[in-house]
Amino acid sequence: MAIGLLVCDDSMMARKQLIRALPPEWPVSISQACHGEEGLQMIRQGLASVVLLDLTMPVMDGFEVLAALRSEGLTPKVIVVSGDVQEEAIRRVTELGALAFIKKPAEPEELRQTLERLGLLNPADSAVASPEPVPSRPAFELKINFRDALREISNVAMGRAAALLAKVLGVFVELPVPAVNIFEVSELHMTLADAQRGERCSALCQGFIGDGIAGEALLLFHDSEISDIAKLFNWQPGNDVETAEMLLDLASILIGACLSGISEQIDVRFSQGHPQLLGLHSSIDSLIHVNQRRWRKTLAVEISYSLEGHNVHFDLLLLFTEDSIQRLSHKINYLLN
Amino acid sequence: MAAQIDINEVHWLLDIVQCIDVGVIVLDRQYQIEVWNSFMENHSGMGPDQVYGQSLFSLFSEIDEPWFRRKVDTVLQLGTRAFSLWEQHPYLVHFKNYQPITGLADYMYQNVTLLPLAGATGSIEHICVVIYDATQAAMHKQQLDALSAAS
Repeated sequence: MAIGLLVCDDSMMARKQLIRALPPEWPVSISQACHGEEGLQMIRQGLASVVLLDLTMPVMDGFEVLAALRSEGLTPKVIVVSGDVQEEAIRRVTELGALAFIKKPAEPEELRQTLERLGLLNPADSAVASPEPVPSRPAFELKINFRDALREISNVAMGRAAALLAKVLGVFVELPVPAVNIFEVSELHMTLADAQRGERCSALCQGFIGDGIAGEALLLFHDSEISDIAKLFNWQPGNDVETAEMLLDLASILIGACLSGISEQIDVRFSQGHPQLLGLHSSIDSLIHVNQRRWRKTLAVEISYSLEGHNVHFDLLLLFTEDSIQRLSHKINYLLN
Repeated sequence: MAAQIDINEVHWLLDIVQCIDVGVIVLDRQYQIEVWNSFMENHSGMGPDQVYGQSLFSLFSEIDEPWFRRKVDTVLQLGTRAFSLWEQHPYLVHFKNYQPITGLADYMYQNVTLLPLAGATGSIEHICVVIYDATQAAMHKQQLDALSAAS
């Protein structure tokens, strides 16, 4: 009798990786959902007794799914598989009834041990070759697009950056789904102006390059929030020099962790240039001059971090050059196959 | 630096040479590459295995060979350092700007230092080429010049 398994994640790549990491002899019939609400409906229909649940999803995130299961008295066995590796996230899902937490990307061995520990997989089964072949798993036919894959890689990377930030500042970082877009460089200002919401900003950038992949990380801070950031850092910057120093330290954590998260996943070691303060307390137009002569298009990964209970947001943009896209896509294909 | 270096320290020192954000190349007297750090690897797109034992000139046709040889010859003969500044020679090797999106320069301006490396016998068998990214200084200087020309 096959066990009903639901894999609930907005990323097709994450679902594919996860399904591929399942013990091959585990007799399950797999359903997939691409956001929490869809997943919840499948659970209500009785399609799943075991759920592998992502946290960062559009429409309804993993925390909300767990809360809904509890309030509706539904009791599937939930294992959270997430890139959000903040200690507080793990504590919260455990409190909401999740039985285990696995960090992305899930290792087959860790997944197997977790399933065995929870009594969902019988170790004796694995010893005996399964008599009938397990039906081919649907996800293998799924075509993963580049954007989806890069979104998932960024998602894991930003989760690691958030965990460090949470540790340093003693806060809980709310993670959005990263936005991945290819746009004309001339549109970059528009995108940035949106992120800025008409306020004055301070911005830092840092170049990176490795293995034919080059770009810049750009971090935007809203001026109205700088005093809140300072409070969290337990600093009282007395002047602009000290403010700049504080933003530099914060940028080093966020950009450094995010880039190393990406580089580990795609197996590239980046050189990082010195970060450069583009300016303090200015409008986007005066902060950022894009070299439009050289680039027509850029690949942008946009991550907006917010801190729970504080009026603080950071916008981190990873901008890749047009000529990096092919190399990056090659690396990602390698990762998938 | 300590006079006595143990094996652990050699390990760190290699790590530093590898990761420091300036270009480090070691050449023998025939201009063949023996050391190539990650700055060189990442900016050139060529790994150490691709460049090891190759002549610097065959890999980078943009290098002005007579100019470079003249500088290296002095270093080898006299054991003194030699330098090249971006004002006279914008770059040794053509790399893209480290800040490809927001940077205004089309390529990386470079200051270069050539260091003599003595072997056990005291004679100079190798040259270390250190490449510094001077793009920001170059851009500021050019902007300043443009401003004073306009006024």
